[in-house]
Amino acid sequence: MSQSREIKRRIKSINNTKKITKAMEMVSAAKMRRSVDKVLISREYSNIAWEIVQSIASTDIKYKHPLLRQVKEVKNVAVLAISSNRGLCGGFNSNLGKKLLSACQELDQQKINFECLSFGKKVAHTIRKNNFDIVADFDKPDLLQNITTISPITHLLLNGFIEKKYQKVLLVYTDFVSSLKQEPTVKQLLPLKPAPDDQLGQVQKVGEKDKEKNKQSTKDILEYKFEPSPQAVLDEILPRILEIQIYQAVLESDASEHSARMIAMKNAFSAATDMIDSLTLAYNQARQAAITQEIAEIVAGAAAI
Amino acid sequence: MSQISFKIITPERTLFSEMVDQITLQTTEGEITVLPGHIPIISTMSPGELRFVQGNEEIPMVVLGGFVEITKTSVIVLADAAEKVEEILEERAIEAKKQAEELRQSKIADREDFAALSAKIEKELARLKVAQKYKKRKRPRL
Repeated sequence: MSQSREIKRRIKSINNTKKITKAMEMVSAAKMRRSVDKVLISREYSNIAWEIVQSIASTDIKYKHPLLRQVKEVKNVAVLAISSNRGLCGGFNSNLGKKLLSACQELDQQKINFECLSFGKKVAHTIRKNNFDIVADFDKPDLLQNITTISPITHLLLNGFIEKKYQKVLLVYTDFVSSLKQEPTVKQLLPLKPAPDDQLGQVQKVGEKDKEKNKQSTKDILEYKFEPSPQAVLDEILPRILEIQIYQAVLESDASEHSARMIAMKNAFSAATDMIDSLTLAYNQARQAAITQEIAEIVAGAAAI
Repeated sequence: MSQISFKIITPERTLFSEMVDQITLQTTEGEITVLPGHIPIISTMSPGELRFVQGNEEIPMVVLGGFVEITKTSVIVLADAAEKVEEILEERAIEAKKQAEELRQSKIADREDFAALSAKIEKELARLKVAQKYKKRKRPRL
Protein backbone atom coordinates (compact mmCIF):
# COMPACT_ATOMS: atom_id res chain seq x y z
CA MET A 1 0.00 0.00 0.00
CA SER A 2 2.91 2.30 0.74
CA GLN A 3 3.97 2.15 -2.89
CA SER A 4 0.63 3.34 -4.18
CA ARG A 5 0.62 6.22 -1.75
CA GLU A 6 4.00 7.24 -3.09
CA ILE A 7 2.68 7.17 -6.66
CA LYS A 8 -0.35 9.19 -5.68
CA ARG A 9 1.85 11.88 -4.21
CA ARG A 10 3.84 12.09 -7.42
CA ILE A 11 0.71 12.34 -9.55
CA LYS A 12 -0.43 15.23 -7.41
CA SER A 13 2.83 17.12 -7.76
CA ILE A 14 2.95 16.57 -11.52
CA ASN A 15 -0.59 17.81 -11.76
CA ASN A 16 0.54 21.06 -10.16
CA THR A 17 3.40 21.36 -12.62
CA LYS A 18 0.97 20.76 -15.41
CA LYS A 19 -1.23 23.60 -14.26
CA ILE A 20 1.71 25.97 -14.00
CA THR A 21 3.07 25.12 -17.43
CA LYS A 22 -0.36 25.54 -18.96
CA ALA A 23 -0.68 28.97 -17.42
CA MET A 24 2.79 29.95 -18.58
CA GLU A 25 2.03 28.70 -22.05
CA MET A 26 -1.02 30.90 -22.24
CA VAL A 27 0.85 33.94 -20.95
CA SER A 28 3.65 33.53 -23.44
CA ALA A 29 1.20 32.86 -26.24
CA ALA A 30 -0.32 36.26 -25.61
CA LYS A 31 3.08 37.90 -25.38
CA MET A 32 4.20 36.09 -28.47
CA ARG A 33 1.30 37.33 -30.52
CA ARG A 34 2.08 40.89 -29.54
CA SER A 35 5.78 40.69 -30.23
CA VAL A 36 5.40 38.75 -33.47
CA ASP A 37 3.01 41.39 -34.77
CA LYS A 38 5.51 44.03 -33.89
CA VAL A 39 8.41 42.30 -35.56
CA LEU A 40 6.57 41.53 -38.79
CA ILE A 41 5.24 45.04 -39.12
CA SER A 42 8.60 46.71 -38.85
CA ARG A 43 10.58 44.09 -40.71
CA GLU A 44 9.92 45.47 -44.17
CA TYR A 45 10.87 48.96 -43.12
CA SER A 46 14.13 47.85 -41.62
CA ASN A 47 14.99 45.53 -44.52
CA ILE A 48 14.46 48.23 -47.09
CA ALA A 49 16.32 50.75 -45.00
CA TRP A 50 19.19 48.30 -44.76
CA GLU A 51 19.21 47.77 -48.52
CA ILE A 52 19.35 51.48 -49.11
CA VAL A 53 22.24 51.86 -46.73
CA GLN A 54 24.06 49.00 -48.39
CA SER A 55 23.66 50.56 -51.79
CA ILE A 56 24.76 53.93 -50.48
CA ALA A 57 27.80 52.25 -49.00
CA SER A 58 28.69 50.57 -52.27
CA THR A 59 28.67 53.78 -54.29
CA ASP A 60 31.48 56.28 -54.24
CA ILE A 61 30.58 59.47 -52.52
CA LYS A 62 32.87 62.43 -52.21
CA TYR A 63 31.77 63.24 -48.74
CA LYS A 64 33.24 60.63 -46.42
CA HIS A 65 30.85 60.13 -43.60
CA PRO A 66 32.66 58.63 -40.60
CA LEU A 67 30.20 55.74 -40.55
CA LEU A 68 31.05 54.87 -44.15
CA ARG A 69 34.72 54.61 -43.30
CA GLN A 70 36.58 51.81 -44.97
CA VAL A 71 38.38 49.46 -42.64
CA LYS A 72 41.69 48.02 -43.67
CA GLU A 73 42.73 46.10 -40.63
CA VAL A 74 40.40 44.85 -37.96
CA LYS A 75 41.90 45.02 -34.50
CA ASN A 76 39.00 45.61 -32.18
CA VAL A 77 35.52 44.26 -32.55
CA ALA A 78 32.45 45.12 -30.55
CA VAL A 79 29.94 42.31 -30.17
CA LEU A 80 26.43 43.16 -29.04
CA ALA A 81 24.60 40.07 -27.85
CA ILE A 82 20.87 40.16 -27.34
CA SER A 83 19.07 37.56 -25.23
CA SER A 84 16.21 37.25 -22.78
CA ASN A 85 16.18 38.08 -19.09
CA ARG A 86 14.52 34.90 -17.99
CA GLY A 87 14.99 31.25 -18.64
CA LEU A 88 12.44 28.47 -19.15
CA CYS A 89 12.38 28.99 -22.86
CA GLY A 90 13.91 25.81 -24.18
CA GLY A 91 17.17 26.10 -26.04
CA PHE A 92 16.70 29.78 -26.80
CA ASN A 93 19.48 31.18 -24.67
CA SER A 94 21.85 28.26 -24.91
CA ASN A 95 21.68 28.26 -28.71
CA LEU A 96 22.40 31.95 -28.73
CA GLY A 97 25.26 31.38 -26.30
CA LYS A 98 26.74 28.74 -28.59
CA LYS A 99 26.53 31.06 -31.56
CA LEU A 100 28.20 33.81 -29.57
CA LEU A 101 30.95 31.45 -28.45
CA SER A 102 31.69 30.22 -31.94
CA ALA A 103 31.80 33.77 -33.28
CA CYS A 104 34.11 34.82 -30.47
CA GLN A 105 36.35 31.81 -30.96
CA GLU A 106 36.67 32.63 -34.61
CA LEU A 107 37.75 36.15 -33.72
CA ASP A 108 40.14 34.71 -31.18
CA GLN A 109 41.78 32.47 -33.74
CA GLN A 110 42.34 35.43 -36.01
CA LYS A 111 43.97 37.17 -33.05
CA ILE A 112 41.42 39.91 -33.04
CA ASN A 113 40.47 41.63 -29.84
CA PHE A 114 36.82 41.78 -29.05
CA GLU A 115 34.65 43.41 -26.45
CA CYS A 116 31.17 42.25 -25.58
CA LEU A 117 28.08 44.26 -24.84
CA SER A 118 25.09 42.47 -23.47
CA PHE A 119 21.40 43.23 -23.63
CA GLY A 120 19.56 40.70 -21.49
CA LYS A 121 20.60 38.98 -18.27
CA LYS A 122 21.09 35.51 -19.65
CA VAL A 123 23.70 36.40 -22.20
CA ALA A 124 25.50 38.64 -19.73
CA HIS A 125 25.84 35.54 -17.58
CA THR A 126 27.23 33.51 -20.48
CA ILE A 127 29.77 36.20 -21.29
CA ARG A 128 30.94 36.41 -17.70
CA LYS A 129 31.22 32.66 -17.41
CA ASN A 130 33.51 32.56 -20.42
CA ASN A 131 35.65 35.42 -19.14
CA PHE A 132 35.15 37.59 -22.19
CA ASP A 133 35.69 41.30 -21.89
CA ILE A 134 32.39 42.89 -21.11
CA VAL A 135 32.30 46.64 -21.57
CA ALA A 136 28.66 47.30 -20.97
CA ASP A 137 25.67 45.42 -19.64
CA PHE A 138 22.42 47.10 -20.54
CA ASP A 139 19.26 46.42 -18.60
CA LYS A 140 16.63 44.97 -20.80
CA PRO A 141 13.05 45.93 -20.04
CA ASP A 142 10.53 43.13 -20.22
CA LEU A 143 8.45 45.01 -22.68
CA LEU A 144 10.26 47.13 -25.19
CA GLN A 145 8.22 50.29 -25.49
CA ASN A 146 9.99 52.31 -28.14
CA ILE A 147 13.21 52.91 -29.87
CA THR A 148 14.55 55.35 -27.30
CA THR A 149 15.22 52.41 -24.98
CA ILE A 150 18.09 51.29 -27.12
CA SER A 151 19.53 54.68 -28.02
CA PRO A 152 22.30 54.42 -25.38
CA ILE A 153 23.45 51.20 -27.02
CA THR A 154 23.43 52.74 -30.47
CA HIS A 155 25.25 55.75 -29.16
CA LEU A 156 28.00 53.65 -27.64
CA LEU A 157 28.47 51.46 -30.71
CA LEU A 158 28.38 54.21 -33.30
CA ASN A 159 30.65 56.50 -31.33
CA GLY A 160 33.05 53.64 -30.77
CA PHE A 161 33.19 53.13 -34.50
CA ILE A 162 33.50 56.81 -35.34
CA GLU A 163 36.27 57.31 -32.80
CA LYS A 164 38.06 54.31 -34.33
CA LYS A 165 37.92 52.36 -31.10
CA TYR A 166 36.19 49.55 -32.96
CA GLN A 167 36.80 48.54 -36.52
CA LYS A 168 33.84 46.25 -36.65
CA VAL A 169 30.53 45.89 -34.88
CA LEU A 170 28.65 42.60 -34.77
CA LEU A 171 25.16 41.86 -33.60
CA VAL A 172 24.41 38.43 -32.17
CA TYR A 173 20.71 37.83 -31.82
CA THR A 174 18.03 35.26 -32.51
CA ASP A 175 16.30 35.74 -35.80
CA PHE A 176 12.61 35.00 -35.77
CA VAL A 177 11.84 32.70 -38.69
CA SER A 178 8.52 31.28 -37.55
CA SER A 179 6.96 30.44 -34.23
CA LEU A 180 8.50 26.98 -34.54
CA LYS A 181 11.89 28.04 -35.78
CA GLN A 182 14.24 30.64 -34.40
CA GLU A 183 17.73 30.99 -35.64
CA PRO A 184 20.64 32.50 -33.75
CA THR A 185 22.45 34.80 -36.18
CA VAL A 186 25.46 37.04 -36.37
CA LYS A 187 25.01 40.19 -38.36
CA GLN A 188 27.66 42.69 -39.24
CA LEU A 189 26.40 46.14 -38.47
CA LEU A 190 29.56 48.08 -39.21
CA PRO A 191 31.49 48.67 -41.40
CA LEU A 192 28.67 48.93 -43.87
CA LYS A 193 30.69 47.68 -46.77
CA PRO A 194 31.85 44.19 -45.98
CA ALA A 195 35.20 43.13 -47.35
CA PRO A 196 34.72 40.51 -50.08
CA ASP A 197 36.61 37.79 -48.22
CA ASP A 198 34.72 38.40 -45.04
CA GLN A 199 32.48 35.47 -44.31
CA LEU A 200 31.54 36.21 -40.73
CA GLY A 201 28.26 37.89 -40.27
CA GLN A 202 26.98 37.58 -43.79
CA VAL A 203 23.46 36.48 -43.21
CA GLN A 204 21.54 36.27 -46.39
CA LYS A 205 19.24 33.59 -47.52
CA VAL A 206 20.14 31.96 -50.79
CA GLY A 207 17.16 33.26 -52.71
CA GLU A 208 17.72 36.75 -51.46
CA LYS A 209 21.34 36.60 -52.49
CA ASP A 210 20.44 36.21 -56.15
CA LYS A 211 17.97 38.99 -55.91
CA GLU A 212 20.55 41.12 -54.21
CA LYS A 213 23.02 40.40 -56.98
CA ASN A 214 20.64 41.54 -59.69
CA LYS A 215 19.85 44.59 -57.74
CA GLN A 216 23.50 45.29 -57.12
CA SER A 217 24.33 45.10 -60.80
CA THR A 218 21.70 47.67 -61.65
CA LYS A 219 22.56 49.82 -58.70
CA ASP A 220 26.27 49.80 -59.28
CA ILE A 221 25.85 52.06 -62.24
CA LEU A 222 23.79 54.49 -60.21
CA GLU A 223 25.37 57.53 -58.75
CA TYR A 224 23.07 58.88 -56.14
CA LYS A 225 22.47 62.54 -55.89
CA PHE A 226 21.88 63.79 -52.41
CA GLU A 227 19.58 66.60 -51.56
CA PRO A 228 20.19 69.03 -49.93
CA SER A 229 23.78 67.76 -49.63
CA PRO A 230 25.44 64.41 -49.06
CA GLN A 231 26.54 65.52 -45.64
CA ALA A 232 23.12 66.64 -44.49
CA VAL A 233 21.40 63.54 -45.80
CA LEU A 234 23.93 61.02 -44.57
CA ASP A 235 24.28 62.67 -41.17
CA GLU A 236 20.60 62.29 -40.70
CA ILE A 237 19.80 58.90 -42.15
CA LEU A 238 22.81 56.74 -41.38
CA PRO A 239 22.61 56.79 -37.59
CA ARG A 240 18.87 56.39 -37.81
CA ILE A 241 18.96 53.38 -40.07
CA LEU A 242 21.61 51.74 -37.93
CA GLU A 243 19.53 52.35 -34.85
CA ILE A 244 16.57 50.78 -36.59
CA GLN A 245 18.67 47.73 -37.37
CA ILE A 246 19.53 47.27 -33.72
CA TYR A 247 15.94 47.86 -32.73
CA GLN A 248 14.77 45.30 -35.24
CA ALA A 249 17.29 42.79 -33.87
CA VAL A 250 15.88 43.32 -30.39
CA LEU A 251 12.33 42.86 -31.68
CA GLU A 252 13.34 39.67 -33.50
CA SER A 253 14.93 38.41 -30.34
CA ASP A 254 11.84 39.22 -28.28
CA ALA A 255 9.52 37.46 -30.68
CA SER A 256 11.84 34.45 -30.73
CA GLU A 257 12.01 34.36 -26.96
CA HIS A 258 8.29 34.28 -26.47
CA SER A 259 7.72 31.70 -29.19
CA ALA A 260 10.49 29.53 -27.81
CA ARG A 261 9.00 29.78 -24.34
CA MET A 262 5.55 28.96 -25.59
CA ILE A 263 6.80 25.86 -27.38
CA ALA A 264 8.87 24.81 -24.37
CA MET A 265 5.84 25.16 -22.09
CA LYS A 266 3.67 23.29 -24.53
CA ASN A 267 6.17 20.44 -24.54
CA ALA A 268 6.37 20.49 -20.76
CA PHE A 269 2.60 20.40 -20.56
CA SER A 270 2.27 17.38 -22.83
CA ALA A 271 5.17 15.64 -21.08
CA ALA A 272 3.35 16.17 -17.78
CA THR A 273 0.16 14.75 -19.27
CA ASP A 274 2.01 11.68 -20.51
CA MET A 275 3.67 11.19 -17.17
CA ILE A 276 0.40 11.42 -15.31
CA ASP A 277 -1.09 8.82 -17.64
CA SER A 278 1.68 6.32 -17.07
CA LEU A 279 1.75 7.02 -13.34
CA THR A 280 -2.00 6.52 -13.11
CA LEU A 281 -1.57 3.17 -14.83
CA ALA A 282 1.18 2.23 -12.39
CA TYR A 283 -0.97 3.38 -9.49
CA ASN A 284 -3.92 1.28 -10.61
CA GLN A 285 -1.70 -1.73 -11.11
CA ALA A 286 -0.23 -1.33 -7.64
CA ARG A 287 -3.69 -0.94 -6.13
CA GLN A 288 -4.97 -4.02 -7.95
CA ALA A 289 -1.91 -6.01 -6.86
CA ALA A 290 -2.52 -5.02 -3.26
CA ILE A 291 -6.18 -6.07 -3.45
CA THR A 292 -5.32 -9.38 -5.07
CA GLN A 293 -2.74 -10.07 -2.44
CA GLU A 294 -5.16 -9.24 0.34
CA ILE A 295 -7.76 -11.61 -1.10
CA ALA A 296 -5.13 -14.29 -1.50
CA GLU A 297 -4.18 -13.84 2.16
CA ILE A 298 -7.78 -14.05 3.32
CA VAL A 299 -8.42 -17.12 1.22
CA ALA A 300 -5.22 -18.70 2.49
CA GLY A 301 -6.25 -17.85 6.07
CA ALA A 302 -9.70 -19.38 5.59
CA ALA A 303 -8.17 -22.50 4.05
CA ALA A 304 -5.89 -22.88 7.04
CA ILE A 305 -8.87 -23.01 9.40
CA MET B 1 2.89 54.92 -70.73
CA SER B 2 5.72 53.86 -68.50
CA GLN B 3 5.13 53.65 -64.82
CA ILE B 4 7.25 53.76 -61.73
CA SER B 5 7.01 51.50 -58.73
CA PHE B 6 6.12 53.42 -55.64
CA LYS B 7 6.25 52.38 -52.00
CA ILE B 8 5.47 54.19 -48.79
CA ILE B 9 6.74 52.32 -45.78
CA THR B 10 6.53 53.36 -42.18
CA PRO B 11 7.76 51.44 -39.15
CA GLU B 12 4.13 50.55 -38.45
CA ARG B 13 3.04 49.32 -41.86
CA THR B 14 3.44 49.37 -45.60
CA LEU B 15 0.97 52.03 -46.55
CA PHE B 16 1.17 51.78 -50.29
CA SER B 17 3.02 49.66 -52.84
CA GLU B 18 1.91 49.84 -56.47
CA MET B 19 2.85 51.12 -59.90
CA VAL B 20 2.01 54.78 -60.45
CA ASP B 21 2.54 57.40 -63.13
CA GLN B 22 4.02 60.28 -61.19
CA ILE B 23 4.70 61.35 -57.66
CA THR B 24 4.97 64.78 -56.12
CA LEU B 25 6.64 65.00 -52.75
CA GLN B 26 8.04 67.51 -50.29
CA THR B 27 11.73 67.23 -49.68
CA THR B 28 13.54 69.51 -47.29
CA GLU B 29 14.71 71.41 -50.38
CA GLY B 30 11.23 71.91 -51.72
CA GLU B 31 8.59 70.17 -53.72
CA ILE B 32 9.71 67.78 -56.45
CA THR B 33 7.81 65.71 -58.96
CA VAL B 34 9.16 62.34 -59.98
CA LEU B 35 8.44 60.70 -63.31
CA PRO B 36 9.78 57.37 -64.53
CA GLY B 37 13.46 57.59 -65.45
CA HIS B 38 14.31 60.14 -62.79
CA ILE B 39 17.96 60.38 -61.78
CA PRO B 40 18.76 58.56 -58.53
CA ILE B 41 18.37 60.81 -55.53
CA ILE B 42 18.37 60.25 -51.83
CA SER B 43 16.78 63.05 -49.93
CA THR B 44 15.28 63.85 -46.58
CA MET B 45 11.61 64.72 -46.48
CA SER B 46 9.78 67.43 -44.65
CA PRO B 47 6.35 66.84 -43.18
CA GLY B 48 3.71 67.61 -45.73
CA GLU B 49 1.58 66.48 -48.56
CA LEU B 50 2.47 63.80 -51.06
CA ARG B 51 0.45 63.29 -54.23
CA PHE B 52 0.72 60.63 -56.84
CA VAL B 53 -1.06 60.06 -60.10
CA GLN B 54 -2.33 56.64 -60.90
CA GLY B 55 -4.32 56.39 -64.11
CA ASN B 56 -6.66 59.36 -64.15
CA GLU B 57 -6.64 59.83 -60.44
CA GLU B 58 -4.57 62.01 -58.24
CA ILE B 59 -4.33 60.62 -54.75
CA PRO B 60 -3.06 62.70 -51.82
CA MET B 61 -1.39 61.39 -48.68
CA VAL B 62 0.35 62.90 -45.69
CA VAL B 63 3.93 62.00 -44.95
CA LEU B 64 5.44 63.11 -41.66
CA GLY B 65 9.19 63.23 -42.10
CA GLY B 66 11.58 60.54 -43.16
CA PHE B 67 13.53 60.11 -46.34
CA VAL B 68 13.12 58.99 -49.90
CA GLU B 69 15.19 56.90 -52.26
CA ILE B 70 14.55 57.55 -55.95
CA THR B 71 15.97 55.36 -58.70
CA LYS B 72 15.07 55.18 -62.38
CA THR B 73 12.41 52.59 -61.78
CA SER B 74 11.33 53.01 -58.20
CA VAL B 75 10.52 55.48 -55.49
CA ILE B 76 10.70 54.29 -51.91
CA VAL B 77 9.54 56.59 -49.16
CA LEU B 78 10.67 55.56 -45.70
CA ALA B 79 8.47 57.76 -43.57
CA ASP B 80 8.36 58.21 -39.82
CA ALA B 81 4.62 58.16 -40.19
CA ALA B 82 2.24 58.44 -43.11
CA GLU B 83 -1.50 58.49 -43.58
CA LYS B 84 -4.05 58.46 -46.31
CA VAL B 85 -6.04 61.63 -46.35
CA GLU B 86 -9.31 59.93 -45.54
CA GLU B 87 -7.71 58.38 -42.48
CA ILE B 88 -6.87 61.67 -40.85
CA LEU B 89 -9.18 62.50 -38.06
CA GLU B 90 -9.20 66.22 -38.06
CA GLU B 91 -10.41 66.62 -34.51
CA ARG B 92 -7.68 64.38 -33.28
CA ALA B 93 -5.06 66.30 -35.19
CA ILE B 94 -6.28 69.59 -33.75
CA GLU B 95 -6.31 68.11 -30.28
CA ALA B 96 -2.80 66.71 -30.66
CA LYS B 97 -1.47 69.99 -31.89
CA LYS B 98 -3.08 71.86 -29.03
CA GLN B 99 -1.67 69.45 -26.52
CA ALA B 100 1.80 69.73 -27.95
CA GLU B 101 1.64 73.51 -27.86
CA GLU B 102 0.40 73.52 -24.30
CA LEU B 103 3.20 71.23 -23.32
CA ARG B 104 5.67 73.55 -24.90
CA GLN B 105 4.37 76.47 -22.92
CA SER B 106 3.97 74.79 -19.58
CA LYS B 107 7.27 73.03 -19.52
CA ILE B 108 10.56 74.81 -19.42
CA ALA B 109 11.85 71.81 -21.21
CA ASP B 110 15.46 71.11 -22.01
CA ARG B 111 16.64 71.49 -25.53
CA GLU B 112 16.02 67.94 -26.62
CA ASP B 113 12.42 67.93 -25.42
CA PHE B 114 11.86 71.25 -27.08
CA ALA B 115 13.10 69.97 -30.41
CA ALA B 116 10.93 66.90 -30.17
CA LEU B 117 7.90 69.03 -29.34
CA SER B 118 8.53 71.43 -32.17
CA ALA B 119 8.82 68.53 -34.56
CA LYS B 120 5.54 67.15 -33.29
CA ILE B 121 3.78 70.47 -33.73
CA GLU B 122 5.15 70.76 -37.24
CA LYS B 123 3.89 67.30 -38.07
CA GLU B 124 0.44 67.93 -36.70
CA LEU B 125 0.28 71.16 -38.67
CA ALA B 126 1.15 69.36 -41.87
CA ARG B 127 -1.47 66.77 -41.17
CA LEU B 128 -4.10 69.40 -40.52
CA LYS B 129 -3.23 71.41 -43.57
CA VAL B 130 -3.63 68.50 -45.91
CA ALA B 131 -6.78 67.30 -44.22
CA GLN B 132 -8.42 70.68 -44.56
CA LYS B 133 -7.30 71.10 -48.12
CA TYR B 134 -9.03 67.95 -49.21
CA LYS B 135 -12.01 68.15 -46.91
CA LYS B 136 -14.19 70.22 -49.19
CA ARG B 137 -13.18 68.65 -52.43
CA LYS B 138 -15.09 65.56 -53.31
CA ARG B 139 -12.70 62.80 -53.93
CA PRO B 140 -13.27 60.17 -56.60
CA ARG B 141 -13.88 56.77 -55.14
CA LEU B 142 -10.94 54.42 -55.18
